[in-house]
Formats: sequence, C-alpha cells, structure tokens
Amino acid sequence: MNFKRDIPVRTYSGFALSALLVLTILTILLQSSVEKIERAGDKLLGINAQEGVANAVTSVVVYFRGFDTLGEIAVLFIAALGIGLMVSSHKSAQRHKEESNFILQTASKLLFPFITLFGVYVMIYGHLSPGGGFQGGVIIASGVLLLLISYQNFEVPHALITALETLAGISYVLIGLLGLWILDHFLGNFLPSDISDMGMLISGGIIPLIYIIVGVKVGSEMSMIVQNLIQRSDDE
Amino acid sequence: MMSSLLDWFIQPDVITAIVAFGSMGLFFVGLFGLLTQRHLIKIFISISLMEAAVFLYFLGTIFHRELTAPILGDGHTAFTGMNDPIPHAMILTAIVIGMALFALGVSFAIEYYKLTGRTDINKMKEMGE
Amino acid sequence: MTGLIILATFVSMIVVAFASVTQKSLPDAIILFMGVGLGSVILFYLFQAPDVAMTEAVISAGISSLIFLMALKHLGEES
Repeated sequence: MNFKRDIPVRTYSGFALSALLVLTILTILLQSSVEKIERAGDKLLGINAQEGVANAVTSVVVYFRGFDTLGEIAVLFIAALGIGLMVSSHKSAQRHKEESNFILQTASKLLFPFITLFGVYVMIYGHLSPGGGFQGGVIIASGVLLLLISYQNFEVPHALITALETLAGISYVLIGLLGLWILDHFLGNFLPSDISDMGMLISGGIIPLIYIIVGVKVGSEMSMIVQNLIQRSDDE
Repeated sequence: MMSSLLDWFIQPDVITAIVAFGSMGLFFVGLFGLLTQRHLIKIFISISLMEAAVFLYFLGTIFHRELTAPILGDGHTAFTGMNDPIPHAMILTAIVIGMALFALGVSFAIEYYKLTGRTDINKMKEMGE
Repeated sequence: MTGLIILATFVSMIVVAFASVTQKSLPDAIILFMGVGLGSVILFYLFQAPDVAMTEAVISAGISSLIFLMALKHLGEES
C-alpha cells in the first residue's frame, strides 16, 4: 500500500505499544485497591431509590444530569443546521432516485407501521426497560429512511417536521424553567413522583415526559438529515 | 485441566487485562488507518474506530462479574449490587455526538468534492503544502 | 467462560477492523465497519450495559453506516 509521505510509522507504532503496556499495568494495579475507593454510583443508586424511576440510566441522563442532555440536543441541532445549510436549492430530487422494484415497495409499505410502532414503544417505556428517547427516535428515522429509498415521490413534509422539532426544543427549556419557578432549581421534579409507583407507566414525575420530548426532537432531526443527504441538487 | 483454565479466565484481573489489550489494539488499528490512508471517507472510518475503542475501554474497566445491569427487572426489588450507571449515561451521550459529527463531516466531504472534484488528501493544495 | 468470549470477540473485531481499513473498494469497507459495530454491541451486552448496547446497535450499525453509504453515491464511487 502507498504511504502518503515519509511518516515514521515505526515511531508511532512503538509509541502506541508502550502506551498500551502502561495502560495495562496501571489498570491491573488499580484493581488491587478497589475496595477502598467509594464510587459515586453507589450513592446515586441510593438517592435513586427515593425519587427516581426503575431504569437508573434514564434517571441519570434526564434528571440528575439533565443539563448535559440539553447541551447534547444543542449539538445535534447545530449539526442538522450545518447539513441543511449546504443544500443550495429545495427542488425536488426525483431525478436522483431510480424507480425501485415491486418487492421493495411492497415490503417497505408493510414494514413501516411496525417500525414506527416499535420506535414509539421504546420511547414511551424508556424509564422502565432499556431504551429511551434517543433509541426510539433513531428507530423512527430509520423507518423513514426505508420509505425514502423505495418510493420515488415520497418526501418528508418540511413544515410539519420543522414545527415538531421547534416545539420539542422549546418545551424542554420551558419545563426546565417551570421547575426553576416552582422548586428553585432548573429541571426540578414538580409532578408527583411517589416511590410506591415505581414500575408503573406513569411514575417518576417529569422524567418520562422529558424523554418523550427528546425522542421526538431526535427523530425529526435525523429524518431531516437523512433526507438532505439523499436529495442534493447537482447544479450550483 | 480445562476447568482450571476456564477458572483462570474468569478472574477480574484477567478480564480487565483482556479489555485493556483488546481496546488499545483496536485503537491502534484506527490510528494506523488514519495515518496511512488517503481517501477522505477512509479517514472518517478510522476516527470512528478509535472512538469505539475508547468507549469499550471505558465500560470494560468498571465491569464486575457479580454485579448486574442498573435496571430494576423481575427478581430485583432494591437498588443494590448493581453496576455504576454514570458511565453508561456518559457513553450514551458520546455515541450520539459522534454520529452527529460524522454526518456533518461527510456532508462537508461531499461539498468539497462538488467544488473541486478531489477526494485524495495528497492532492488538496489549498493550504499551500 | 465470559473471559473467553470477550477475548474471541476482541480478536475478531481487530481482524475485521484491519480488513476494513485496508480495503480498496469503499462499499466493502463500510460493510466491514458495520461488522465492527456488531462486535461492539456483543461486548456492551457482556458488560451488563443494555442501554448502551441498544444505542450502539441503532446508531453505529444502523444510521451512521447508512449515511456513509448514501454519501458514496454522491462521490461517484458506488459500485
């Protein structure tokens, strides 16, 4: 294979192997003192038993570290904005796609409702079983991708998706501000969350509500990204 | 003899050593691809491999065999004896951000190809080298 | 037994990753990258992290590789 220039490959490989050795030795040495280290996760699981939901990872992502999730949604929004800005015109790109055959069209028409139903289920039951907003949103976006590649004149309705995404983003911040107003800290849990409800669908206060909002936003953003990457105009 | 060999593999020190070697090996494969390949898309694939190696290393070194997943299922009624849920949440965020980064980078590559028609990084001469 | 499975998965992931990086044709490289994602999902399941496994399966072996494949069509390398 052609190497691009005279980079010292042996230097880099020696560096990498010695880093590997150092990391291994450090990890094995750390294992011997693991009983003396008190991890933050144990305390958090104790707090979660008082005011959390059955899925500890969901309550960490949405409630205990909810501000980080807001930042992650902002990063996704900026990436979708950057991809959308590069499409120079909004002409429909029917000449980009070829007419696909009958098997693909029939199968995708059959499969799309089940994929959407599964995505909505994963989104709504995110606080009781593994799953949540991110996974459910991306599942719905992959169903939309399946429809986009089988039908030539299918387009995601632009105004509806933009409205959904905007409403979801605004309501996340509004719920946080409502928690600030009622309970004196951002994203405070102001809906009733009894510990006796743990395991029920309506439990944990605002946690399932926020995860559904996150799922709607991620799903609509991924659909727009996928459509922008398929339909790009050739002329400038 | 076979049971003693299997017992040796189950010790937590050995599992941590396997995880450290394996993930650093995967990281090195990604680094090798980043240094020696010339096509733009291959460089993105190599960066994605390096990210996957870091996630595996992160979750592999806090893994204990006796503790279970941090979800209350059937059979569990209390939050004791579970793995740490904080690194799981951090890795979830990092995976999603890595995907957003790749979508944007691939979009930039397409636009550059439409402008100049080149995907070989040896032939990109705009920065003057 | 868990250690043996982890070792076997790591070895196969490294081999598939090396094959993916040194391929000549780009669609083959992306499909082999999906194989690395599959090995990653198996390892996340063995590390008792079901949320992370589901996210990695949907995003890395799903949307991310499909975005790469769709971009190849615009770069003129579809074969």
